Amino acid sequence: MALPFSGRKDGLSLSEALPDRSLFILVAMMSFLAALTLTGATGARTLSTRWAGGAAQLLTIQVSEPDQPLAVTSKADKTAQPTRADAVLADLATLPTGTQVHRLTQDELARLLTPWLGDAGKTALPLPAVIEVRLAEGQEAPTNLEQTLDAHVPGTVVEHNAEWSTRLRALAQSLLACAALALATVGGIATMITALATKAGLSTRRDIIKILHGLGATDSYIAGRFAWRTGGLALGGGLLGTLLAMAPLLLLFRMAAPFAASTLQAASTTMPDWRTLPDLLPGDMLIGLAALPFVAAFIGWVTTQFMVRVWLRRLP
Amino acid sequence: MIRLTNVSWRRERKASTPVLSNLSFEVPQGGFRWLLGPSGAGKTSLLSLLHVESLPSDGTLCLLDKDVTAHTHRSVLVRLRQRIGMVHQDFRLMPDLSVADNVALPMRLQHRPEDEITDEVQSILKWVGLGDQLGVRASRLSGGEQQRTAIARAIVHRPGLILADEPTNALEEPQAHKLLDMFSELSSMGTTVIVATHNEALVRRLPRPALVLERGRLVQDGA
Ligand SMILES: Nc1ncnc2c1ncn2[C@@H]1O[C@H](COP(=O)(O)OP(=O)(O)OP(=O)(O)O)[C@@H](O)[C@H]1O
Ligand SMILES: [Mg+2]
Repeated sequence: MALPFSGRKDGLSLSEALPDRSLFILVAMMSFLAALTLTGATGARTLSTRWAGGAAQLLTIQVSEPDQPLAVTSKADKTAQPTRADAVLADLATLPTGTQVHRLTQDELARLLTPWLGDAGKTALPLPAVIEVRLAEGQEAPTNLEQTLDAHVPGTVVEHNAEWSTRLRALAQSLLACAALALATVGGIATMITALATKAGLSTRRDIIKILHGLGATDSYIAGRFAWRTGGLALGGGLLGTLLAMAPLLLLFRMAAPFAASTLQAASTTMPDWRTLPDLLPGDMLIGLAALPFVAAFIGWVTTQFMVRVWLRRLP
Repeated sequence: MIRLTNVSWRRERKASTPVLSNLSFEVPQGGFRWLLGPSGAGKTSLLSLLHVESLPSDGTLCLLDKDVTAHTHRSVLVRLRQRIGMVHQDFRLMPDLSVADNVALPMRLQHRPEDEITDEVQSILKWVGLGDQLGVRASRLSGGEQQRTAIARAIVHRPGLILADEPTNALEEPQAHKLLDMFSELSSMGTTVIVATHNEALVRRLPRPALVLERGRLVQDGA
C-alpha cells in the first residue's frame, strides 16, 4: 500500500524559510566579482613573474652596421675579418655557461618592426643587429659589459631591463595585494549575507525547530539541514556568477595576450584566435575559477553551521 | 525512574518568584502518576522540566538514570529526549506535514529503518482511529484528531517515559477511556507515565498515586 509519507520530510520547509532568490542572486553577484578579481590577480602575477624572472634576466644588445668588418686598422685580409656582429657574439660567448645568446633573424626583426615601419623587409633603413641575451637564473650581467663591448666594437648599445622591471614588479605586487584585499572583502560580504539569511530563516522556523528539538533532533541534524540548503544555494549562485564572468574574462585575456609573451622572438602583435585562446589561459587561474563555486558553497555551509549551532545553544 | 531533589525553577534567572519551588519526589520505573492541581499551579512547567525543555534553577533532577543537572553534555540530553514521549497541551504538530509524517518524526530522527517506521506508524494510527487519515495535513485536522496524532507521535517510538499534558481534553469519553487503558498497560510493561489532568472522572476511573501542585509547591508527593 502506498503511504502518504514524503520521504525525509521533517517540517522545516527550508525552501520557504530560506528562499532561493535573494541568496542565490547575491552569491552569484559576489562570485562574478570574485572571478573578475581573481583574473586580475592572475594577470598581475603573470606579469610580475615575467618581469621578475624573465625581463630582468634579459639583455638586448644593438650592434649598428652589423655586417661591416670589425676594424679596418688591421693590415690583414679584409675577408678574414669577422663582422661587427660576429665580434660581439664572440665576446658574448665568454659569458657564464647557461647564458642563451640569440641574434634575431631578418624575419624576426621585420616582424617586430612591422607596426612601426610597415613592411620592414623592404625598408632602405640600415637596421642594426639585435641580439637577445638571456642570463641563467640568478646570474647577473657583468657591470662593465657595455664598456667592454663598446671598446671592442664601437657603437654597441646594451639595454638592461632590470631597473624598470623592478618598478613594474612593485606595481604588479601592489595590484596583487589589492586583489587579495578585494577577494577577502567579497568573502566577508558573502559570510554576512549568509549569516543574515540564516538568521531570518531561523526566526521564521523558530517554533518548528523547538518542536524538532523536543522530539530529539540533534544540533548537527538541524544545523546540517540549514547548512546544506545555504551551501547548495551558494554553490548554484557561485556557478552562475563564475560562468557569467567567463565572457568578459575571455575578452580581456585575448586583448592581454600579446603583452604576455616572454621573449622578443615569441612576441606577436596580433590577438590570438578565439579557438586557441583556452590554451593561453593560465592553468592555475582556471583551477581558481573552478574552485570559486565550491569556496562559495563552503563559506555558506560553515557560516550557517556556526549560526544555527549558536542559536540552538539557547535551548538546553 | 525519576527523582527530583529540592528542584526550583524560575522562568528567568532574576525572576523574583519561582514557578516551581522546592519539589522533591520520586517515581519508580514503570510507575503511573497523575499530576493534579488548579490551573496555573505549574503542571505544564513541571512536565517541561521533565522533558528537558529547560533545566532546573536549583536542585537535582535525575531522569532515566541520568542526572541532567550535573553539567550533562548536550548530546546526552538529546539522547535522553529521544527516550521521552511528550503530549503537549497545545499538541505542537508540524502543520505542513501529513499525519503519518508527523507521527514518523521521532523514529526518523533516530534513523530507524523506513519499513519499520511504516509498520509502526500505520498500526499506531489505526489504533488511535486515524487509520484513514494518514495523508491529511496536520493543519486540516480537528482538535480531537490533532490530539490523537500528538498521542500517537508520543508513543510510536516506545519511549521509556511518557509525559502527557491534558491528553484527553479534546477527546470524547470512549476515546479517553481507551487512551487511559493503554497508558495503564504501558506502565505495567515498564514505561513510566505521568498524566496531568483536570478531569476528576478520569482520575476516579483509574485510581493511581497523584502528585498535586498548588502555586508551584507540591502538596502531595504521590508516595
Ligand atoms: N509563557 C509564559 N510566560 C510567563 N509566565 C507563564 C508562561 N506560561 C505560564 N506562565 C505562568 O507560570 C505559572 C505556571 O503555569 P503552567 O502553565 O505551568 O500552569 P498549569 O498548571 O499547566 O496550568 P493549566 O492547568 O491552566 O494548564 C502560571 O502562574 C502562569 O501564569
Ligand atoms: Mg498546563
